[in-house]
Amino acid sequence: MSDEIRLQVKHLCKSFGVTKAVQDVSFNVKKGSVHALIGENGSGKSTLTNMLTGIYSIDSGEFILDGKKIHPHNQVEANNEGVSIIVQELGTLSGLTVAENIFLGHEEQFVTLGFKNTNAMNKKANELLHQYGFDRIKASDMIDEYNFEDRKLVEIVKATYFHPKVVVIDETTTALSQEGREELYKHMERIKKEGGSVIFISHDLPEILDKSDMITVLRDGVYIDTVASADVTEDDLKKYMVGREMTGNYYRADYDEKVSDEVVLSVKNVAVPGQISNINFELHKGEILGFGGLSESGMHEIGKAIFGASFDREGSVTLEDGTEINDIPTAIKHSIAYTSKDRDNESIVKNQSIGENICLPSLDELAGPFGIQSDKKQNEFANKFAKEISVKMVNTKQFVSELSGGNKQKVVLARWIGKDSDIVVLDSPTRGIDIKVKQDIYQLMDRMRKSGKSIIMISEELMELIGMCDRIIIMKDGKISGQIDRGREITENTLIEMMV
Amino acid sequence: MSNVKTAGGESDAMKKASTMSLVRAILPIVGLIVICILFNTLTGGRLLSNLSLALSQVYVIMIASTGVFFIMTMGGLDFSQGSIIGMASIVVCMLSKTSIPLAIIGGIATGAAIGAFNGYFYVYRKIKSFIVTICTMFLFRGLIKYLTTNAPVAGSAKLINYDSTALKVICTVLVVAIGFAAFRCTRFGTDLKAIGAGEKAAKFAGIRTDRMKFLIYVLAGAITGFAAFISVIKVGSVTSSGGNQLETQILIALVLGGMPISGGAKVRFENIIVGSLLFIILNSGLTMMGFSTQMLQLIEGVVFLVFVAVFADRESLSVIK
Repeated sequence: MSDEIRLQVKHLCKSFGVTKAVQDVSFNVKKGSVHALIGENGSGKSTLTNMLTGIYSIDSGEFILDGKKIHPHNQVEANNEGVSIIVQELGTLSGLTVAENIFLGHEEQFVTLGFKNTNAMNKKANELLHQYGFDRIKASDMIDEYNFEDRKLVEIVKATYFHPKVVVIDETTTALSQEGREELYKHMERIKKEGGSVIFISHDLPEILDKSDMITVLRDGVYIDTVASADVTEDDLKKYMVGREMTGNYYRADYDEKVSDEVVLSVKNVAVPGQISNINFELHKGEILGFGGLSESGMHEIGKAIFGASFDREGSVTLEDGTEINDIPTAIKHSIAYTSKDRDNESIVKNQSIGENICLPSLDELAGPFGIQSDKKQNEFANKFAKEISVKMVNTKQFVSELSGGNKQKVVLARWIGKDSDIVVLDSPTRGIDIKVKQDIYQLMDRMRKSGKSIIMISEELMELIGMCDRIIIMKDGKISGQIDRGREITENTLIEMMV
Repeated sequence: MSNVKTAGGESDAMKKASTMSLVRAILPIVGLIVICILFNTLTGGRLLSNLSLALSQVYVIMIASTGVFFIMTMGGLDFSQGSIIGMASIVVCMLSKTSIPLAIIGGIATGAAIGAFNGYFYVYRKIKSFIVTICTMFLFRGLIKYLTTNAPVAGSAKLINYDSTALKVICTVLVVAIGFAAFRCTRFGTDLKAIGAGEKAAKFAGIRTDRMKFLIYVLAGAITGFAAFISVIKVGSVTSSGGNQLETQILIALVLGGMPISGGAKVRFENIIVGSLLFIILNSGLTMMGFSTQMLQLIEGVVFLVFVAVFADRESLSVIK
C-alpha cells in the first residue's frame, strides 16, 4: 500500500424520497490497498458503491479518481473511467455466452464494418480465462451452463481483466464456497500489486480484518470512522457498526450437553442422481446437526431431499413414527420446515405481503369450519410471529420484495415458528445477513434446540457450524466424508481437511 | 435496482404502492359509472331504457370470466375459451335432443376435457400456457368449422323454452357467488395468488402447484362448458362462428375490471363483475351510437391498451438486485 491517494470520496449525499441513504460521507482510498466498507444492512455501503459505478445518480458531492472528478452514468462509463464492480447477486446475463458476458458493453473492439467477430471475442476471452486459471470455463459456452460459483468467477474476469483502477466487491464472498473465495482473494492481491484499489464490502468481520488494509465504517448512512485493520479487533468493529457494545454470546456457549438418544428422523441410502449418493444418517431430538462442505459437495441437495423437494430421489427419509417423506406437502404436514439457500425464489413468495408469507403453510390450521379463512385470524397470527422474531417492517401488509435480505429470512423463519415445526432444515440461514440479525438467528436456534426441536443446518460458513452444531457431517463429491462431534478443540482447519 | 431499504424508504414506497392500489381499486368502478352516464347522454337515454338487452350479453362473459380469473390469478392465460364454448355448445345442442340435464352435463364435461387437454400440455409437458391455448384455440375452432360445414348444429326445440332472464341471472349469480366464496374465504384463493406471485416458493410452502395448475384449467373449461348452455338457449343452434372471440372479450373484460395481467397477490374478485359490466356497456353504448364493427374494435383496442398500461404490475417483473 502506498500513501498516494487513488480515490477521494467527498461530501457524498444520496436520498431516496425522505430517506437519507448516504449523508455527507467523505474518505480516501489509497493506491494499492484493499479498503473495506462495513456497516449493517441499510447503512449505505451499497448505495455509495452504486453511485461510484454509475448505477445510482449522485445527489451531491463528488468522486475524485486520480485527481480527476468522475461522474459515470452507467457501468460501461464507469468501466471506461477505470472503475468496476462485482455485485452481490448474479451479475452475469443469462442467454449470453461467457465471452459475451465478459465483454458486455465493450464489444466495439471486435467489430469491423458493423460485423462482430465472434471468433476473435471467444479467443480473447479464452486467453483471459486461461490467465486467471479458470480453464474449465469455456468462452463460447452459454453462461447458463455454469453454476452460481462459476458465474461469479466469470464476473471476476469481467470486472478485472482491463486492469481497473478501482474494483468494488460487494458482498460477493458470502455467495462463494471456500474454494471460490480463495480465487477471489488471489485476484484482490493481484489488483493490489498492480497498484489498483479494491473497495471490499463484506459482513464477515474476520475476513475483513484478514484481507483489508483500511476499514471505513458506516452507520445509517453516516460516516463513522476509518481505521487501519491492524489496529482494531472484531469487537471494536462490531461496536463501531452497531453503535453500542455487543453483549451476550454470539454462538451457543455450552459444550458438554448430552444429546437425546431419541431419533426423530432417519435417512437411509438416499441418492439423487448427479447430486448425492449413499447418504445415511440419523437426527436426534433437540440436536443441531450441521452439514458442511464445498458448495458443490451436494450438501445443499440434502436439505431438499429431506424435505421431499428433490427430483428423482431414491432411498428413504423416515420419521420416528414410521412416516415416509416423499413430497413437500407430506413433509410440512409432519412438521418438517425448510428454508432454502435460494431465498428469493424458493423460500419467500416475493410478490406477496409479509402476512401472507407467514400464514401460507399454516392455512389449514387457521381455517374455521368448512375451510373458511378469517382475515382477522390470519392477521393476528402473522403479527404474533413477525413480532416474536422482530421483523423490521411497517406492518404485515408490506410486500416482502421491499425487505432487506436479513428481514426476508426472518419472515421465512417466522413462518416455520408459526407452524411450530419439530424438524427444521436451514440451508445457509445467515447468507448475506448482518451480525445483529445473525446473532438473533443463532439465539433463536438455541432456543428451539432447548425446547426439543431438531435442527439441520447446512452452511458454507465453517465458524457457524463449529459454533452452533452438536455434530457436523462433512460432505465431499456427493458423499459423506466424515463426521465430528461438538468440541472446543475443533477448528476450521479440522473441517477443511475433511472437505478437500 | 434499489437494494438499499431503510425504514423511511420502505414507508415511502408503501405510500406510493397504496396510492397505486387505490387507483387500481377505484378506477374501474369510476370508469363504469362515467361510461354509463356518458353513453346514456350520448344516446339520449336509449342505453338505460335498453339495459336489459345490453345485459343479456353479460351472462356468458361473466360466467366464463370466473374460470379465466382463476387461471390469470396464478399467472396463466387462456386463449381457447372461445373454442371451448363453441365445442361445448355443439355438444349441448346434440345432447339436448335426448335430455336437457344430460346436455348441461355434456357441455360441462366437454369444457373440462378441453381444459384438461390444455392443462396436460401446460403443466406436464411444460409449454407456456398462452402457446398451448392458442394451439387448442385453432385446433378446436377447426373442429367446430368441420362439424358445422353443412349447416349449423341445431338443438332440440325445447332449448329455447329455457331462455328466461331469471334463469340466466340465477345461474350467473350462483357461479359468481360460489367462485367468490371459494376464492375469498378458503385457502383456494390464497394458494392461487401464491402460485401467481412466486410459483417455486409456493411449492416450497407446501402447495401442490402442478396439480393445482392442472385442475384450474379443467375447472375453467368446465365453467365455460356450463356457460355454453346459457349461450345456446338464446338461439338454439351453433354456427361455425359460435363463441368466436370470447377469449379476447374475457381478457378485455378482466383487464377493464382492474386485473393485473400478471396475476398474483393484487387480483381482486370484483375485477370479474365490474369488468364484464364495463365491457358490455362500452360495447352496447358504442353500437347504439352507430359505430361500425371495425370502429368498435379499434376503440376497444385503444381502451384495452390504456388499461393494461395502467394495471400492469411492473414490480412483479423480477427485480434485479
